[in-house]
Amino acid sequence: MSEIVQSEPFVMNIGPQHPSTHGVFRVKATVDGERIIDAEMVIGYLHRSMEKLAEERTYTQNIPFTDRTDYLSSMSNNLGYCLAVEKLADIEVPERGQAIRVIMAELQRVASHCMGAGAFANDTGAWQTPIMWFMREREKILDIFEMTSGARLTCNYMRIGGVAFDLPESFEEEVRAFIPAMRQTIDDGEGLLSGNEIFIARARNVAVVPHEMAINASLSGPMLRGSGVAWDIRKADPYCGYEQYDFEIPIGYQGDAYDRFIIRIEEMRQSLKIVEQALDGLPGGPHSTEVPLALRPPAGEAYARIESPRGELGYYLVSDEGPSPYRFHIRPPSLINLTVLREMTVGGSIADAIVALGSIDIVVGEIDR
Amino acid sequence: MATKWWSGAELAAAAERLVPGSVARTSETACALKPESALQTFRALRDDPETDFVHLTNLCAADYWDHFEVVYHLQSLERNQIACAKVEAWEREEPVVPSVVDIWQGAWIQESEAYDLFGIGFEGHPNLTRILLWEGYPGHPLRKDFLAMPGGLQPGLNEFAGTSAKPEPPVHPVQ
Amino acid sequence: MGPLVTDHWYDLRDLSNISREILEGIDKVAPSEVAYIVAPVLGFVAFFLIFVLPSQLIVGVYGERRIIGRMQARRGPNRVGPFGLLQPIADAIKLLQKEALTPKTADRAIMWAAPIFFVAPAVLLFATIPFGPRMIFADIPVALIYFIAISALPVLAAFMAGWGSNNKYSLYGAMRVVAMSVSYEVPLVLSLLAVVVFSSTMSLQGIVLFQADVNLWLVFMMPLAFLIYFISVSAELNRTPTDIAEAESEIVAGYLTEYSGMKWGLFYGMDIGYALAASAFAATVFLGGWSMWGLEEWVPPWMIFIAKTHLFYFVFIWTRGTLPRLRIDQLMAFAWKFLLPLAVFNLFLVSLERLLWVENDIGDGIVFAFAAGNLVASAAAAYLWARLLGYRPERIPTKPRLVREAGGYVPVEGQTGGGE
Repeated sequence: MSEIVQSEPFVMNIGPQHPSTHGVFRVKATVDGERIIDAEMVIGYLHRSMEKLAEERTYTQNIPFTDRTDYLSSMSNNLGYCLAVEKLADIEVPERGQAIRVIMAELQRVASHCMGAGAFANDTGAWQTPIMWFMREREKILDIFEMTSGARLTCNYMRIGGVAFDLPESFEEEVRAFIPAMRQTIDDGEGLLSGNEIFIARARNVAVVPHEMAINASLSGPMLRGSGVAWDIRKADPYCGYEQYDFEIPIGYQGDAYDRFIIRIEEMRQSLKIVEQALDGLPGGPHSTEVPLALRPPAGEAYARIESPRGELGYYLVSDEGPSPYRFHIRPPSLINLTVLREMTVGGSIADAIVALGSIDIVVGEIDR
Repeated sequence: MATKWWSGAELAAAAERLVPGSVARTSETACALKPESALQTFRALRDDPETDFVHLTNLCAADYWDHFEVVYHLQSLERNQIACAKVEAWEREEPVVPSVVDIWQGAWIQESEAYDLFGIGFEGHPNLTRILLWEGYPGHPLRKDFLAMPGGLQPGLNEFAGTSAKPEPPVHPVQ
Repeated sequence: MGPLVTDHWYDLRDLSNISREILEGIDKVAPSEVAYIVAPVLGFVAFFLIFVLPSQLIVGVYGERRIIGRMQARRGPNRVGPFGLLQPIADAIKLLQKEALTPKTADRAIMWAAPIFFVAPAVLLFATIPFGPRMIFADIPVALIYFIAISALPVLAAFMAGWGSNNKYSLYGAMRVVAMSVSYEVPLVLSLLAVVVFSSTMSLQGIVLFQADVNLWLVFMMPLAFLIYFISVSAELNRTPTDIAEAESEIVAGYLTEYSGMKWGLFYGMDIGYALAASAFAATVFLGGWSMWGLEEWVPPWMIFIAKTHLFYFVFIWTRGTLPRLRIDQLMAFAWKFLLPLAVFNLFLVSLERLLWVENDIGDGIVFAFAAGNLVASAAAAYLWARLLGYRPERIPTKPRLVREAGGYVPVEGQTGGGE
């Protein structure tokens, strides 16, 4: 047949301006008809040289930088950086500060997964209905963040040694009013999508990552858990007092896009459980320790990591007893999760490539820094 | 149930046990391996059931004026332990370090990034391109002598801005 | 036509009174050629400009956006005019004053011609649809085949648009449109063939009169044909869940990527117009047209008909707001493997029943028994055929497994998993 009909593969650009690439991200796909033969990613459209800039600012001045890497989960980024500096400088965080950090991190996880799961549903074509429902709840979380830290998206709330401000008075009642509404919306979204034949046909057995490849490719987060590996840093290497909260981590069956979607939905539920427990047992006391303005940690290096909504977000800091870090490196989960992009997309069609990209849940600010 | 963070001495002991003579230097938090036997050591560290470092968590590089260091954070999921290994490259102009892509597939993007920002060549890497910046970009930005400023000033905040900057490079941070 | 509907020109229940008065008036004062020319203009004004275009604007543009907005827990457009009712006018003005860019390397002639080819079918289709007992513009005896033939034109227009744009994404959209439309024509025709067999006439007015005669809508008689028609026509119209030709999240806008300004407005408007034509057709053939078991003598039949059209269109809006989109190979597999055998089965069943009815000269009440039997037989056939093709709903776990300790790989035990 191929002698009669001659076809040749051509290179098609998906992105950087595309409704579905979650930011300025480009995939150069070599396609033959609708089948992808090769996929190569091109990044760097949002490179802002944060790692170099951080070497010229003090440790506290670097906290707003970390907001802007993964702009959809800024509280988590702040938390990871503050943990790294506290590890380097051996600073203790009081219990109230830790509990507040946990509440903020889990609320941020819910907000980020609202966006991630919603955008994934959008990619499969569910004409913005599930994402609108999730966005409505995410707006409430952003209002809570604004009430506490002053900003909706790039919160700059965590400080080295604790958090910036204490919780306002109406915080607890707002969060407690929000939790049942969020649970209802999660049930609604799950009911609309998880059992839907068309959604299952689109997302099942698409972009499969077997578990050996997942571990070898340094994946983390919902991608690793989707392949059946029970690895969550909140359980394996607890920080900020996570060991005292009772929650479970969801893991998938075969590592396809559908598994990652249901994991994200379930993680939202578990996060709400943690927020409730943290609010119930919120201790009194100071919300942060006193840290000198010109913090000069002793010479050394530290690597601290947290479980951000996208995976393992790590910060590697090297200090030379100066006021600014000697080396500041962010281990971006989205970039490393993209290691398997070629294996996931080659052999499928373009529609599958979009679904695969949506299931990784990338944020380009984190990829390019 | 916290992760066991291996000290430099423990990793050096494990590396010596698996591949004798592979350790160059040991510090408190990390262990530097010799570049010639680095690949063999990494493979042994990944395959040995006691260490079981199957997950390469982080791969980054740092510039210490007289040498470059490529830092590997290795992690074992079953045994829940993490260790920090390093490979040093003492060339200034075009340093070369063996590539671990064959051992851990997750290294290939991070090694490309280290090549892009530092100029460290990884031999054995299938497709070493400048992924964040473009081909033909002058220089490698994260090197300490990039943007060498006039007046003998160095980038990096040695004092608060506004005071005089030290002309000599700062103290070696990791001994 | 009962005793209540009169022939006076002011009896709005039968609007053909007005047109007849006008044409007879012209006949008296001018030569007959003038009336011959005025008649189609009057028909266009009556059918398209007075009925179709406002309902297209109100329901298609305004109604669709508000209804989908409510489904998505937000209001739709409500700023322009009272309750946002002037939104379509605002859209039209905006599109008129936009610059209609044409890329330099695109084929200008084909790009300009494509919207024209798209507008024509929507207008032409309304000519044969009966709005009332005497309110039909062209009662041709092969109206059904006319509909199927005209509905192939938008496919050609979409392909011209995609090819002429000189853009890889547009080409994708164009190829997908052709593949999909060709696949879904066959079940569409077969389901309509069952209708023709049962009512033994291809004229739309004839089918409506047949349904009024036996007092049973054809949707109850052959529910499988109705379902197949709905899915096939939504695929022809490129509506979600089958809108891969214009899949916004994959190929930006498919064959419409390079269109802007009023050319795009024509595509968009006639997309709705064509959907309304298909809805009107379905209302005529399956839902009984202007007849409503005797109610059409009190309520103007064209109102009943328009209500049914909008009801059908609402189901289009509903599925658009709810369902995700299928992939091209899944869509074609669905058409060829699932819908086509079911359409053939339906045709067989209906032909058998028609034969029994006519040969044995049974009274008209038998159709109710046929309808009941068909309902059961259709449901059973669809379910069994789906099972045969491998549809197993209970095998898929919809919740992840939950663990408490972190460790390495946890293999899947057994077939079913399932968390809490």
